[in-house]
Amino acid sequence: MSTPLPSPKTPAAWYENYKPLPGIPDEFIGADGKPRASWRNFLEQVDAGDSERSFAAADRRIRDIGVSYRVHGESSERAWQMSRLPLLIEETDWTEIVAGVTQRAALIEALLADVYGDGRLVGDGILPAAVVAGSRDFVRPMVDMKPPGGRWMNMYAVDLGRGPDGRWWVLGDRAQAPSGAGYALENRLVMSRAWPAKYRGMNIERLAPFFRAFRSSLADAAERSQPRICLLTPGPFSATYFEQAYLARYLGFLLVEGDDLVVNNGLTHVRTIAGLKRADVIWRRVDSDFIDPLELNGKSRLGVPGLLSAMRAGHTAVSNAPGSGFAESRALMSFMPRIAKHLLGEELRMPNIATWWCGDREAQRDVLEDFDDMAIAGAFGNEIPGFAAEQQVLPGSLLPADRARLREAVETRGLDYVGQEVVRLSTAPVWSDGKLVPRPFVLRVFATATADGWRVMPGGFCRISARPDARAVSMGEGVQSADVWVLSSKPVVMETLLPSTDKVQIRRILGNLPSRAADNLFWYGRYLERAEATLRVVRCLCARSLEMDLSSGDLSKTLTLLGHQLFAWGAVTEENEEAPTFTIARQALCDDQAYGSGLSGVRLARSAGSIIRERISIDASKLLRILDNQLTNMDELMNESDVFEAADRALQTLAALAGLEQENMNRSAGWRFLDMGRRTERAINTCRLARTFASDDATADDLDVMLDLIDSQITYRSRYVIGVALAPVRDMVLLDPFNPRSVGFQIASLQAHIADLPVLYEDGLLEEPRQIVERLGTEIATSAAGNLETSTILAFEQKVTSFAEAVATRYFLQRPELPGGLGASGLA
Amino acid sequence: MIYNIRHLTAYSYTRQVASARLVLRVTPREEIGQHCIAYTLNISPLPLSVETEHDFYGNAVNVVTIDTEHKELSIEAISTVELTHQAALPLSGEPWEDISNAALLSRDLTGTAPAHFMFASSRVQLSPEVTRYARDSFKPGRGILEASRDLIRRIRADFDYEPEKTDINTPLLQAFKQRHGVCQDFAHIMIAGLRGLGLPAAYVSGYIRTIPPPGEKRLEGADATHAWVSVWCGASVGWLGFDPTNAIDVGNDHISLAVGRDFSDVSPVYGMFVGSGGAELEVEVDVIPVTAPEPRAAKL
Repeated sequence: MSTPLPSPKTPAAWYENYKPLPGIPDEFIGADGKPRASWRNFLEQVDAGDSERSFAAADRRIRDIGVSYRVHGESSERAWQMSRLPLLIEETDWTEIVAGVTQRAALIEALLADVYGDGRLVGDGILPAAVVAGSRDFVRPMVDMKPPGGRWMNMYAVDLGRGPDGRWWVLGDRAQAPSGAGYALENRLVMSRAWPAKYRGMNIERLAPFFRAFRSSLADAAERSQPRICLLTPGPFSATYFEQAYLARYLGFLLVEGDDLVVNNGLTHVRTIAGLKRADVIWRRVDSDFIDPLELNGKSRLGVPGLLSAMRAGHTAVSNAPGSGFAESRALMSFMPRIAKHLLGEELRMPNIATWWCGDREAQRDVLEDFDDMAIAGAFGNEIPGFAAEQQVLPGSLLPADRARLREAVETRGLDYVGQEVVRLSTAPVWSDGKLVPRPFVLRVFATATADGWRVMPGGFCRISARPDARAVSMGEGVQSADVWVLSSKPVVMETLLPSTDKVQIRRILGNLPSRAADNLFWYGRYLERAEATLRVVRCLCARSLEMDLSSGDLSKTLTLLGHQLFAWGAVTEENEEAPTFTIARQALCDDQAYGSGLSGVRLARSAGSIIRERISIDASKLLRILDNQLTNMDELMNESDVFEAADRALQTLAALAGLEQENMNRSAGWRFLDMGRRTERAINTCRLARTFASDDATADDLDVMLDLIDSQITYRSRYVIGVALAPVRDMVLLDPFNPRSVGFQIASLQAHIADLPVLYEDGLLEEPRQIVERLGTEIATSAAGNLETSTILAFEQKVTSFAEAVATRYFLQRPELPGGLGASGLA
Repeated sequence: MIYNIRHLTAYSYTRQVASARLVLRVTPREEIGQHCIAYTLNISPLPLSVETEHDFYGNAVNVVTIDTEHKELSIEAISTVELTHQAALPLSGEPWEDISNAALLSRDLTGTAPAHFMFASSRVQLSPEVTRYARDSFKPGRGILEASRDLIRRIRADFDYEPEKTDINTPLLQAFKQRHGVCQDFAHIMIAGLRGLGLPAAYVSGYIRTIPPPGEKRLEGADATHAWVSVWCGASVGWLGFDPTNAIDVGNDHISLAVGRDFSDVSPVYGMFVGSGGAELEVEVDVIPVTAPEPRAAKL
């Protein structure tokens, strides 16, 4: 009996049963009940078989490059959930959006300038002073400051939804440090690869020109013509760290954390391996309150002490200016129409959702009257005072006790609350179980300030709810994001980030390496090398154990030594110190409970790599992930032979990683630090192994193992016809400058790296790391293998360790500034 | 009433400190009823720079940069201040609800405007418990001064003064529930209660003259920094001080240094140092009347 082939699904089958939710506009099905032309055009060309392949390609790409986000409070990142279909927006809709967003961006800029400047809105009675003062993002030290660069915002974003009347509505303003532009870019990259034919064929507006305009916008804020622009990140634990690293790489900005910057004499500097270098523009993703612990939140470790004073001195532009987040207050929304009239003399082109600030007694009365038909939200910030878990609540759906508590709160402190019209967002089609279903979405649109006014990104960041009835959509469980295709009636000009003029200054070295990046690259290299050393010992241990009965009686002693080595490196835990070979080898390979295991080394390297994500290539990230997977299968390993195979496979992947470093990385300071990490670690580990397996009383078996561990069996046999002997082995392991695994080779490489790095003072004196490595290099170059002793090897090892310490002292971040807030003791 | 004041803050670190940046709010304020006649700042080691600015609330701020290595740091502020407050106002004040409404309608956004002091702030969380506690003093229609005086009297009666049980980081609600604390806790609790009712209330840091028990001499350095609450009593009356620790109106025994939303806005000595060790702190305050002491304001 044969199974019939599944009949190919036609596009029609996907949406045969597609029904918009009653009374809710839908992006796919128009008011006439028929699919809109653009969607029909898009779907009709999609062949079912092809689409599965395209979807699979998109899924793979997201996984490969590790697009991710972090839900607040989680320690690990989640893979991005991306809709397999773009959101299509037709030109007429887009024109309406652009007009509304351009006006609103200009309005918010004018609002910020007024509130921190002349104060007309408050003085003229348009805006109650409490609506300004109530916002946590009303940053008082910014009052009367003219932000360097002249603008409050270089990037503005706004969340839009389509209301039941078919118009686009503003749901919320994002003026502080809008996120999502980078995800939009990444979504576009994935979608354009998933649907190449359609992407080329449908006149879709490109995103690159927008980012070019944004980069100019920031550069124009600087005093110097070749400014150094830094992206100030809260660090890898921020929800959108991936996006920040991605944008830094795409835009060519330096990714820095607060500790990387220092304010001196009114100027802001980056700590780099070449000393302090001027930072001209800081694009911040750190919220205002945390940006300067001297003047704002003293508990912040994310900011830069004195940054506001540097802004006041006028030489450092911080964008968006601290305090611009004030414009995000919901309480402001109820005043927007009047503010527009007062500041711009215009009506709002795009309405925002109806909002009542309950600090106004009349509005408070209205809200309390229609309490159950309203959504209640915090007037300022994301939290509802007293109901911190939610951004918005519907009193009608609360438990009676909670409803009463909320009502009392709105009565007592109305100024903390707003009532808002309950919005039902329009829906867009998403893929679910092989068919399309309508789901509500929010569209975030971005605008950047240019010399010719605000420019809107033709596209956006679309979030689609997992549930059909969601009234608020945020990035969390089940929410998907979608690429946004803005359709043009005219052919679209292809553009990338390439500058249009040919006046490009040729550059080969990109600025100075920040100390933090140098630190992490160095440790990234060290951890990888450490993992490799462990895996080599594991592989050797398994191989020897398998050959056991073929060899001499002394072998078991060598096996014990290998086991002890793994224990000394922390690859084996105490309870397994004397365990059978298989247990030791398996744990040293892949138990993350043992801090020195191969897997732990790889994990540590990944974690160091995540801090310098913008400097690690996508291919390398992919290999690291593969490596992690290869080592995460402890239960499948049944015997020494399995462990041997697993170690061998992992070593091949490590070799591929090392190959990428050698063949694909620019020979910049970054590469030098990575390689120095590797060389330092290898020199230390090789000394360590030589002290055990090429000690003064080493047996022939020990020496044989030594040659195995440094991959030098064949070379040895081709050089020496005699069997293994101490002096020739020691020469090969420690002194031989031609053997890439010898200590001498590592030191020579370190000498070359250090000599190439910048010095702090041009006084002709050698800095400490260089002094150490030059002395050691000379010592090794002039040593003779016959005169070495175990104690000499130990001395080599100690010198390499002191070199590593000197590198840390000279190049890496030192002694963070600690807050010492006090003055309270002795309070009466 | 004229006072000579000496305020010494001394740190001793367990390890060398490479550099430090300090933000000091130890200059007596210039305001109605208080005039700072002289002010000197002595810092050891000698700073690279001392800049004087005014913050948003009008407090004088000294920003100090020290770039010499040190293990001991001392900051001595010496001032002479004249206080000319009138005797406490006997009136009851406008009904507190009217004050709350007036604050909501205010068109003032300058540093002393009521709008800044109506909301929760980093050390003043609002909670129904504390608001309910305050409400017992704020009966409908009661005058703002009368109600505030009733509240400080109750705080003084209900809470124990216990310096050992709380520190600068004790959460407000914890001190409230345990019914003990120091001046800072009492001020924060009172502020939370007033703001919970929609009334503007500010935190004031300063000094208070201590009067030794009869027959005993003043101990040197035994005075202390102090904190109390300033309540906005309407546009015509303005801000008036209430001291919940001593249950008295703020008058000529209180010398104010800085006003803010809570302690974190007015911390007398705050800073960052580059170093890795711990620090020990010692604070000495002397408030010495130059002119003959007047009789202390009667306890309420």
